[in-house]
Amino acid sequence: MAVDFGGVKMKNPINTASGTFGYGWQFSELIDVSKLGAITTKGCAAEPWPGNPAPRMTEVPGGMMNSVGLQNPGVQAFASESGPWLSELTEAGTSVICQVAGHSTEEYVRALEMFCELCPWAAGFEINVSCPNIAAGGAACGSTPEGAADVMRACRKVTDRPLFVKMAPVRIPEIARALESEGADGLTVINSIPGMAIDVRTRRSKLSKPTGGLSGPLCHPIAVRMVWEAANAVDIPICGVGGVMTGEDAAEMILAGATCVAVGMANFIDPAASLRVLSELEEWAASQGVSDINELIGAFEC
Amino acid sequence: MPTPSPARMHDFTVVSNEQIARGVYSLVIEAPKLASMLKPGQFVNIRVPGNAMSLLRIPLSYASANPETGTVEIWYAVVGDGTERMAAWTPGFTGDLLGPGGHGWSVPKDCRRALVVGGGIGVPPVLCLGRELSARGIAFDAVVGAASSDTMVGVHEFERAGAGTVAVATDDGSAGHHGFCTDLLADLLARNDYDYIATCGPGVMMKKVADAAAAADVFCEASLERMMSCGFGACSTCNVETVDGMKGACMCGPVFDAKKVVVW
Repeated sequence: MAVDFGGVKMKNPINTASGTFGYGWQFSELIDVSKLGAITTKGCAAEPWPGNPAPRMTEVPGGMMNSVGLQNPGVQAFASESGPWLSELTEAGTSVICQVAGHSTEEYVRALEMFCELCPWAAGFEINVSCPNIAAGGAACGSTPEGAADVMRACRKVTDRPLFVKMAPVRIPEIARALESEGADGLTVINSIPGMAIDVRTRRSKLSKPTGGLSGPLCHPIAVRMVWEAANAVDIPICGVGGVMTGEDAAEMILAGATCVAVGMANFIDPAASLRVLSELEEWAASQGVSDINELIGAFEC
Repeated sequence: MPTPSPARMHDFTVVSNEQIARGVYSLVIEAPKLASMLKPGQFVNIRVPGNAMSLLRIPLSYASANPETGTVEIWYAVVGDGTERMAAWTPGFTGDLLGPGGHGWSVPKDCRRALVVGGGIGVPPVLCLGRELSARGIAFDAVVGAASSDTMVGVHEFERAGAGTVAVATDDGSAGHHGFCTDLLADLLARNDYDYIATCGPGVMMKKVADAAAAADVFCEASLERMMSCGFGACSTCNVETVDGMKGACMCGPVFDAKKVVVW
């Protein structure tokens, strides 16, 4: 079941979606986290961010919508508070990918520099250029090939360690190609989808901001399509994210071209969801008669 | 690393599920390990199957936990699709929940008399606190508020738990004082010397209780409600704005020092 995600060694293809798995230790008393191929930690910036006011979450049919706004303690506090546990997790065989947050290219570079210095145990870094909740109107710098490429170009100069980009669910082929040409080691496809939910009695948003990020099973078919588009556009590996609730959902991502698959909202409903998805994926791989999961990546036939 | 949530996955079996007021049910579940772990003010996050479109768990406080019978009593108001499905649960139904979540009330060590104020479905967390106060030999009074007499819960239970005074208010005047339950605070505060006030209910009500407590210089705690996804510190959605910054209700609450709460 082992895969190589852009230089990050994973003993199996199951990862966790940033923002749905805390810093890993939140699950330490609930499941054996070290059975996962990798985890991706919640985004941290160079300085602490307070995040958005309440309410930050509303449930929608088939999923949820959030407006957390990347609340985080800053890289320094993250590294000192969560670093020792994450370092042990790495030693136990689970790769740790740290998500990097920022508002501008300068902020991404500064945060990445701090991560590189303070987190020697990190297997790689995921640059979040697509959070729908930190910029006005849901626009993010990762929504254009130029904006995404600018951030990637600057971050690539900081480190030779594996760098991934969490992509906005827009213009996938052209942005994927731009990121590949600037040296990205892999792509995480997709971030939550900008949406709106209005309380018609009060005429107010159900969140503290007009828009939020949709996630959950309702996003899954869109995410599978975008993974397929990205995989067709570039040669670097893809991490598929979006409404994965079962091993079958993960298998779809792999067939569409994902090298690894991150479990997101399902972690909130069942803390053991990632491990269940892994065992169901193993059963599926066995049922397909292959000895190596890599044979199934992009094996979609049309 | 910081301390993870005390919440664990527990299977439960429904013992009973009965309506106790208009739109309010009492659910008794058998979950022996949970029953011995719960502390007043903590919560559980219950999975309510039956609708593939509605996925997140429902966070609920509890009214009583009995380690001897291994049962936990949860009062809930039917407010949406999930609680409607809960209301259809019958004895023998099995499910799972995550709990206990968060931390409960912090009654001062030298507390001699306390006041608890519960509004609507905010009664259960202060009711189980009242029972604990009684068990510890601490005198207490209770204020109960509701929209009307037929939706009111907890009055008899507070009396049975040994409350000195149980003051009642309803919005429509159908029981007790006609108006907000916070109207009753001034009199109680003038007649008694409280060391501690605990409150749970609508934000506006809790803020009034907190203001009255601050004016009387009495330590006050409030149990806050937020939209919650995981309930164990992973999702950052149940934030409460405090003077010390944003704090997750599931890990730093749901009980907060009322003086520290900025946004109710």
